[in-house]
Amino acid sequence: MNEILRRIRFLFHRAEYERDLEEEMRHHLALLEEDGRPDAAAHRQFGNVTSLKEESRSMWTFAILEQFAQDLRYALRNMAATPLFTATAVLSLALGIGANTAIYSFMDAILLRGLPVPHPEELAIAEWHAPRRSAVVKGINGSNRRYGKGGFASPNFPFSAYEILRSEKDTFSTLFAYTYAQNFNVITGGEAESIPGGFVSGNYFSGLRVPPAAGRLFGDADDRSGSPPVVVLAYAYWQRRFDGSPSVIGKSILLNNLPFTVVGVSAPGFFGVDPQTNPAFFLPIHAIPTLAAKPVEEARSRFLDDHFYWIEMMGRLLPGVGIEQAQAVMRARFRAFAAGTAATPKDAEVLPELSLAEGASGLDTLRRQYSKPLYVLMIMVGLILAIACANIANLLLARAAARRREIAVRLSLGAGRGRIVRQMLTESVLLSVTGGALGLSVAFAGIRFITWLLANGREQFTLRAGLNWPVLGFTFALALVAGVLFGLAPALQATNVDFTPALKESPLQGSNAPGRRFRPRLGQVLIALQIAVSLLLVIGAGLFVRTLSNLQAIDVGFNRENVLLVNVNGRQAGYRDAALARFYSGLLDRFREIPGVRAASASNFPLVSRYTNSNSVVIPGRTAQPGDPGANLLHIDPAFLETMEIPVLLGRNLKPADLAPATVVVVNEKFASTYFGSESPIGRQFGVGKQPSPLLEIVGVARAAHYNSLQEDSQPVIYLPYTQNLAGLGQLFFEIRTAGPPRSAAGAVRRIVHDASSSVSIGEITTQAQRIDQTISQERTFAELGSCFAALALAIACVGLYGAMAYTVARRTGEIGIRMALGAQRSGIIYMVLREVLITTAAGLLLGYGAARLTTRFVESFLFRMQPNDLLAIVTAIGILLAAALAAGSVPALRASRIDPASALRNE
Amino acid sequence: MRSRTEIPPGTLYMLILKSLARIGPMHGYGIAQYIGQISEDVLQVEEGSLYPALQRMLVKGWVEGEWKQSENNRRARYYRMTAAGRKQLTREVGEFGRVMAAIARLIEPA
Repeated sequence: MNEILRRIRFLFHRAEYERDLEEEMRHHLALLEEDGRPDAAAHRQFGNVTSLKEESRSMWTFAILEQFAQDLRYALRNMAATPLFTATAVLSLALGIGANTAIYSFMDAILLRGLPVPHPEELAIAEWHAPRRSAVVKGINGSNRRYGKGGFASPNFPFSAYEILRSEKDTFSTLFAYTYAQNFNVITGGEAESIPGGFVSGNYFSGLRVPPAAGRLFGDADDRSGSPPVVVLAYAYWQRRFDGSPSVIGKSILLNNLPFTVVGVSAPGFFGVDPQTNPAFFLPIHAIPTLAAKPVEEARSRFLDDHFYWIEMMGRLLPGVGIEQAQAVMRARFRAFAAGTAATPKDAEVLPELSLAEGASGLDTLRRQYSKPLYVLMIMVGLILAIACANIANLLLARAAARRREIAVRLSLGAGRGRIVRQMLTESVLLSVTGGALGLSVAFAGIRFITWLLANGREQFTLRAGLNWPVLGFTFALALVAGVLFGLAPALQATNVDFTPALKESPLQGSNAPGRRFRPRLGQVLIALQIAVSLLLVIGAGLFVRTLSNLQAIDVGFNRENVLLVNVNGRQAGYRDAALARFYSGLLDRFREIPGVRAASASNFPLVSRYTNSNSVVIPGRTAQPGDPGANLLHIDPAFLETMEIPVLLGRNLKPADLAPATVVVVNEKFASTYFGSESPIGRQFGVGKQPSPLLEIVGVARAAHYNSLQEDSQPVIYLPYTQNLAGLGQLFFEIRTAGPPRSAAGAVRRIVHDASSSVSIGEITTQAQRIDQTISQERTFAELGSCFAALALAIACVGLYGAMAYTVARRTGEIGIRMALGAQRSGIIYMVLREVLITTAAGLLLGYGAARLTTRFVESFLFRMQPNDLLAIVTAIGILLAAALAAGSVPALRASRIDPASALRNE
Repeated sequence: MRSRTEIPPGTLYMLILKSLARIGPMHGYGIAQYIGQISEDVLQVEEGSLYPALQRMLVKGWVEGEWKQSENNRRARYYRMTAAGRKQLTREVGEFGRVMAAIARLIEPA
């Protein structure tokens, strides 16, 4: 400790210490002389006074730090001396590092970050999978996905299974349950709002160990049938809606027109277990029947139905219990439960099998959706940074070549090679760290841009990407690595000199200096690599852009332009059955009177928005075939087909008079051809779903239109009157066709809904075109980011090529002068320079093409109606790169052709 | 030129400390002279290693320097051993003794 203090004191009194040492040595010399030795000999004996002083001084200081400070000063001077180089390098690094940081922050948010709860690593999520459709699973409410070939996987379970598994005490300290978040009509202070909330079990908060920010959270007593209705607010919603006032605790808020008492607020930053949702409040699971869109009795029965899979579970493992061990226990318990629900031995042949997955980062829907795109984007930005690094390495290489003589002098005077390498590395790392610091602002903008791209107009889109400490650490590490990466090769090469020729070399000379042969070769290899990587990125961008334009060019079978979409849920405001239908038709009538509105209609969900409601079809007199696809259902107002401009090809359209009996339907072409072949379907009858069901009669056939997505192939669709099942009537989406821009009608629509009932909230106002666009957000994001990245790569590679060629020309000025003096034509000189550009570019393109052939198939799943080796994309990319390379190379080529032989030779 | 014997590596600190322990405060030249005399010119302290060594000992806190008038009326830095220096000396002498004994056992004819 003392030693450090003494050293620090030395730093401040350095001059004094050095004077002391000098005087001491003079004294020593004087005494030597007095003892009768001649001055010269004394001096010799004393050795090199300067180096002795240096050595003595080094005893005091933190030598490495001192040298580092020296190097830093030197590097700063160098940076200031070449502002253009510095600006280019720092800017390209800032873009490269910024892009990496932005993408990494998404990886951090989606793939890496744990839930903001204590010990998230103890959490495990329950799931089941089955190789085929299982007879004991009669209905799933929630997400399910394909599992292997023909199988299913889902995180949803029957409520009774949860109760059984929860009683297992040897694996989990707590097993809690929840459902996915959904929107509610919330009335606070007389204002209706549609916001998301989630249902959770009574032990949810204690299991996650989330503390209350105010009041209390749920206990088991809150989550029982018949418990008083209570709600816990999420911190952000509490801040936004109630200004964080504790006085809201104990008050009531209206959810779907029912009063719920606020008992507390969850911890700041807590968003539940699904990183893609952002519920504003939490409700006990047993509040579902009172709030459900379905009749209360039907909703209550879900708690007792062993075949209805709807609740999700997560558990906190007991200390020392591994996830596999817990899975073995839980799997056996669930298998016994599932086997017990099979009505016949045949039903028990295929049973769902439980498995546990890591729950540290919450539900994995987001991760499944984004992990592959994120890896692809990460690779793209990684390549951009690599290009930028290669670029700067190239520029540094050129600069180091210019400093060869200086370095040779220093090395021959005894400077250590390591010392010089360290100094040059300090320079490059300083560049990269500056670039990294600037890159943070690029990243900040990038994160906002990408979030905006992905959200694509969706209001409730949440991705918690941001610049937090792990991300900043990543950026800093990246900058350091980049600096060492692009600094090391030039530093090593520059210090690897053969002294004699380098010292003899005149500063002006250079073209025939030995060692030269190596430098341009490494430089050209770097350029070729940059071109190869750029080609890869440009081809990728081309594929993504063409995919997007293919998607946008799809004829959806209806007119998507000039349609305003308005989501209204009158049921949540207390309307039921016939009254609800009357409320909706009243709204429609008034919408149609808005000036500039040409038509208005409604359906239970919009077309091409990833909604699906499909069921089996039973036609009397026709035996069901194993390949029957069933049909997609859409409940509509009779004006729907006309409003969407879907033509009726056969028979008639629905009429307002069809609403009351609600027994006639229109089907699409595909339905007709699937179930009736070439026969006319008009007048035929069929049933839908579980039999017996009321028969529906076909009155018309409509032209095929897309139903669920842009990418789908034509599917059988049935258009039914929305009044067909009044008891199940919930929200409607209104389609309002306008003469002008659709959004211009939004204000009038809001007023009409508010005037009709102030307790009804409007869920969302958007347009049909935007809604469709949102289903291809990922493709759009890829196309736009890919184009940005490709342009960036292209720009960086061109700057690199330009810099290298300009350097070559400058280096060969003398040679070119001689050639011209000997009669070379200007065009010949231009050709000579461009030939080098072309050779390098061609090598790079060849390399890039090979790389593209090998790698583009990894993005095949992101493409639509395109092959990964799409010829047009590849040829266009090669053309773009060739043009860019020639443009970058032609400036130095022209400059070379304008060299004045006389002055060039005089310089020599 | 007289023939010189290199001071065994690592022993210079010990020699300086021992000299200061015997004589009391000395300046650099005095230390070099003293070591030469006592060893009958077998051990020659190189000035090139003496001053860096003294600097290092200042850093370590084994010696303290003080500027005084010397016998012949010149200003000179006198080095004085500190308590830490005394401890260090004991340690180094002990260590040196062990090593010497070990070497002696090895080279003595058995």
